[in-house]
Amino acid sequence: MIGNVPLSDVLLVSGALFAIGIAGALLRRNAIQIFLAIELMMNAANLALLGYGAAMGTREGQILVFFVIAIAAAEASVGLAIFVALFRHTETIDVNKINLLKW
Amino acid sequence: MDRLIFDAAGLVAIVFAGLMVVGRNPVKSVLSLVVAFFALAVTYVLLLSPFIAALQVIVYAGAILVLFLFVLMLLNVGPEQPDGIRRPIQMGLGSLAVVVFAGLLLGMLRASGSNVSPVPSPTPAAELPDPAALARLLFSDYLLHFEAISVLLLAALVGAFVLARRGEAS
Repeated sequence: MIGNVPLSDVLLVSGALFAIGIAGALLRRNAIQIFLAIELMMNAANLALLGYGAAMGTREGQILVFFVIAIAAAEASVGLAIFVALFRHTETIDVNKINLLKW
Repeated sequence: MDRLIFDAAGLVAIVFAGLMVVGRNPVKSVLSLVVAFFALAVTYVLLLSPFIAALQVIVYAGAILVLFLFVLMLLNVGPEQPDGIRRPIQMGLGSLAVVVFAGLLLGMLRASGSNVSPVPSPTPAAELPDPAALARLLFSDYLLHFEAISVLLLAALVGAFVLARRGEAS
């Protein structure tokens, strides 16, 4: 039961994961690794949602997380398709070498 | 006891997330993230969400990350090579993000010293097993959202197909 897990622990883990995700998204150059860091941030948000949902005794948090997971699946498939198409054009997925949209 | 397990699982998740970010080899990154997601599934169980924990393992660790691994091996991208360019803007923003979130964490810790004690759930949850109650909610109050998500998934399917198809022109 959440009775034994304080909400502050949940938020701590969630915040730490989110910070790691941000650092990863900013520091990596491989597009797929950046994408992985974004997935990590989404999971940190899910953890906070579930923590609050359990602490308040409602199921809305779980419903939201359910939708987030569904959207993450859609996002991953489209994003990876973009990477495949990009790789076909440029032979790389290093984000510093992809500057088609730079002025 | 629950708290001990939660903290241990959270620690595992944080450590492997850190490994994921630090490593240069993308395949190792994906594998560390799988471990982190399994640890997160453990924490979800402790937060009274066994159904979401199952989804985490099946959809996230099972499907999405396998898709990542598949694309990674399809494209055959090697480890990132250090190119000797210093990136002051990225480093600055990265450390700024870490500082901001460390401050946020400290604030949360101080604010939630004792007063955010979790409400022991007076749930109407007890009468139905978890997935059944969730499904009842999903197909009554959130039916419209559910249908919207299914349209979104269809759009993503079509979009991914169009994007990844070998174009006739090129």
